[in-house]
Amino acid sequence: MRERKSTLIEITLLGLLGGLALLSLVGPQLFRDRAAPQLLSLSVLLRDTDSSGWTVARQGMEQAADEFGAELRFLTLSTYGDSDEQTELCLREIDGGARALVVVPADPSALHTALLPCKTPVVTLESDMEGADGTAAPDNILLGQQLAQALLEDWDGGTVLLLDIDPSCAGVADRIQAAQAALEEQGVPTRRASSLDWPPQERWVMAFDPLVTQQTAEQKEAGALSFALYGVGSSTTITALLERGTISALAAWNDYAAGYLAVRQAVQAVRGEGQTLSPLTFSILRGEDIYAPDNQKLLFPVTS
Amino acid sequence: MSFFRGLTAQWVERYRKMSIQMVLSLSFTAVAAVGILLMGVSLIWRFSTASQQLVAENSQRVLAQANLNLDSYLRRMMRIADTAYYRVIKNSDLAEDSLTGPLSLLYEANRDDLVSLAVFDSQGALVSAVPLSSLKPEVNLVKTDWFQAASRSMENLHFSTPHVQNIFADPDYSYRWVVSLSHHVQLTRDGVTESGVLLVDMSFSGIEQVCRDVSLANGGYLYLIDKDGELIYHPRQQLIYAGLLEENNQAAAAYRDGSHVEEFQGQSRQVTVKTVGYTGWKLVGVAPAASWPASSPQPLLFGLSLLLFAIFLMAFLNFLISARISDPIRRLEKSIKELESGQADVEIAEGGCYEIQHLSRSVRSMVSTMRHLMDDIIQQEGQKRRSELEVLQSQINPHFLYNTLDSVIWMTESGQQEEAIQMVTSLARLFRIALSRGKSVIPLCDELEHARHYMNIQQIRYKNKFSTQIQAQPGVEDLYTLKLIVQPLLENAIYHGMASAEDDGLIQVSAYRQGDDLIIDVEDNGLGMRPEVAASLLDADRPQVRTSGSGIGVRNVHQRIRLTFGTEYGLTIFSEPDEGTLVRIRLPALTREEADRRQQGEVL
Repeated sequence: MRERKSTLIEITLLGLLGGLALLSLVGPQLFRDRAAPQLLSLSVLLRDTDSSGWTVARQGMEQAADEFGAELRFLTLSTYGDSDEQTELCLREIDGGARALVVVPADPSALHTALLPCKTPVVTLESDMEGADGTAAPDNILLGQQLAQALLEDWDGGTVLLLDIDPSCAGVADRIQAAQAALEEQGVPTRRASSLDWPPQERWVMAFDPLVTQQTAEQKEAGALSFALYGVGSSTTITALLERGTISALAAWNDYAAGYLAVRQAVQAVRGEGQTLSPLTFSILRGEDIYAPDNQKLLFPVTS
Repeated sequence: MSFFRGLTAQWVERYRKMSIQMVLSLSFTAVAAVGILLMGVSLIWRFSTASQQLVAENSQRVLAQANLNLDSYLRRMMRIADTAYYRVIKNSDLAEDSLTGPLSLLYEANRDDLVSLAVFDSQGALVSAVPLSSLKPEVNLVKTDWFQAASRSMENLHFSTPHVQNIFADPDYSYRWVVSLSHHVQLTRDGVTESGVLLVDMSFSGIEQVCRDVSLANGGYLYLIDKDGELIYHPRQQLIYAGLLEENNQAAAAYRDGSHVEEFQGQSRQVTVKTVGYTGWKLVGVAPAASWPASSPQPLLFGLSLLLFAIFLMAFLNFLISARISDPIRRLEKSIKELESGQADVEIAEGGCYEIQHLSRSVRSMVSTMRHLMDDIIQQEGQKRRSELEVLQSQINPHFLYNTLDSVIWMTESGQQEEAIQMVTSLARLFRIALSRGKSVIPLCDELEHARHYMNIQQIRYKNKFSTQIQAQPGVEDLYTLKLIVQPLLENAIYHGMASAEDDGLIQVSAYRQGDDLIIDVEDNGLGMRPEVAASLLDADRPQVRTSGSGIGVRNVHQRIRLTFGTEYGLTIFSEPDEGTLVRIRLPALTREEADRRQQGEVL
């Protein structure tokens, strides 16, 4: 009886040791399999007709894609701000196997309604969207308020023209709304315009979208007009316009960080690790501030 | 404390219950496992240290190469500055010559690496510049770091940290990151020398290219800082500028050249620092601990697998060896257990190493001695018992003697001289044979003679109420038998069988040979008894009942025979009520020689 018990203990011990040795041999293979996750397919949909205005953001996206194991598809619209086309593209990308979308929404509410049946994570840039897994954008209301504050520092009377070219874009609309409120609170008369009556009658013009800012500034330069322009954006062209004094003040944020954070958030949402994105920091710059060390880092991405 | 005491007691108890093989194998395995584990830990530690050294050596090697490339690049830039100074500026009088032409040639020859070449006077006024030739109106060069550094230390070349060059009026507004090399120069104007500053703007991409192609193994990376810790190049520079990433560059600036281990953001990493000659910049190689070979789970798991396999192998061998060592002990123990359980003829197992063989032999010898002693004791006890029985048997029942002598007296007084003589003669004969000179084995003829004399006396006493027939097969009377075994049976037949007989009683004694056995049947036609009563007469556990006969019981005869010749011999009683009783004596058919040998053995 005792012999049988001893034999049983010995066999159990040997089996246990053998099993552990075998498990430790098989273990590395399991680790190896787990260590090589597949690349996630992400689609980036802009509301512009080309991605030239998003070059820096794209660099940030590609950096994040490289770090977090994703591959990106960049898509632009055939018509600027065409919400229907963007929605159609989003649905097509989801059907095509996109694991997540990074969208600069032309119309956040329309896009939200269209994507409601889909479970694909969506991260937005510029404008917040209901149901989105995150938004990589500055605090649009604060941005509008501070840009208005910059205008107020220079204001010496007259109506301020608020360019509201694309009212469906929620982020831009928030900025306008906040700026208008801030200005009117200080007794500054404002006027909204969905298109620029050229030349404008007002001495003060505010643009809240990088493209509109650039176009307005270029038109101002071309027409040698003297109105003061306040806008947003951080592209090289806009920076040059700021430096030349065409733009009086600029609300700028780091596009590289916006792109990077958007893709990182999308990947994490797919993997169920999503975190809340904090609003991006932004700065109100004037021409003389451009070459401050921190602003150099903000405005001019270090690229070869 | 009591817990540990209890635990110890529990282990001691378990140890006591364990087999020797289990104790051996578990002890050996435990010692081997501890040894192997210690060896494994030592190897892992050595491997970890070696791999850390290897990573450090690799980083140092890579950094040395990167340093060589960067140094070469910077020396090229310095040569350009020297060329601009010694070949162009020194050979020109600004009152007569323009520096723009030669500087343009120099710029064109190195345009891939240069952004601009410019010479300024001590007040910061532009003397000459290529490819852009005018300054921005609001620029005040005297306040710039590079200008001040060049003015302060005239002998040295100064390298700035990366910045966007902003002094030239660029119609394209192409903002380019540069590293500015500035150098104090002596300008000649109308034969008079004056101080100036030479500015060589190196494209940042040149430095980036030198550093970007350098990579450390397994996720390591390299970055470049100036002597104050300001970042010059970092593979994720834009993320750091965007505030999404942090680098421990300020701490790295304080490190000396060589490898250091630091904790940064909760992660251990090895930092290797190499100072770039002349500039004071530092190349910093970072190898996260997770990238070290020792940190990878693969080699650790492989090492663990080897350790476990080694322990498994050791355990297997230990079990085999301990089984081989303990097997003879186990067999010896089994033999002893068999002995303890009373098994006879147990073969004591002998095998294994010397000590166990010696132990087995000792046990065997001890068992043999014990057996002899036990045999002796049994023999002595048998002898003693037999002697007791013989003593009992040789005693004449005083009643029998008294009755016999009383009968002789009576017969003498009544004038029955012949009968009295016959009775006394038979009595004398009876005593002579009973004594037989102390022998216990006597010829069958003497035993039958003894029976006849006994029956003569009894027949006289009982006035011939029964008759007796004593006969023997021819040749059987020469065989030998225990003495005084028939008479007790005759006495029993008389007292129990013939008590109620009326002249028709018959007692027959017949001796014959059956194979190697001598059979003596004593049969009467008396009352008989039930077979179960007959069977119980010989039962050893039956209480001793002293009969009213000669005092020698049937059972004593049976025991004497069995003690003398073995259990296969003795009495068998066949009886039926009202039909009579047959008592069969079975003895070995002893010849004279065999009887003598047996007699001698008993004496010895």
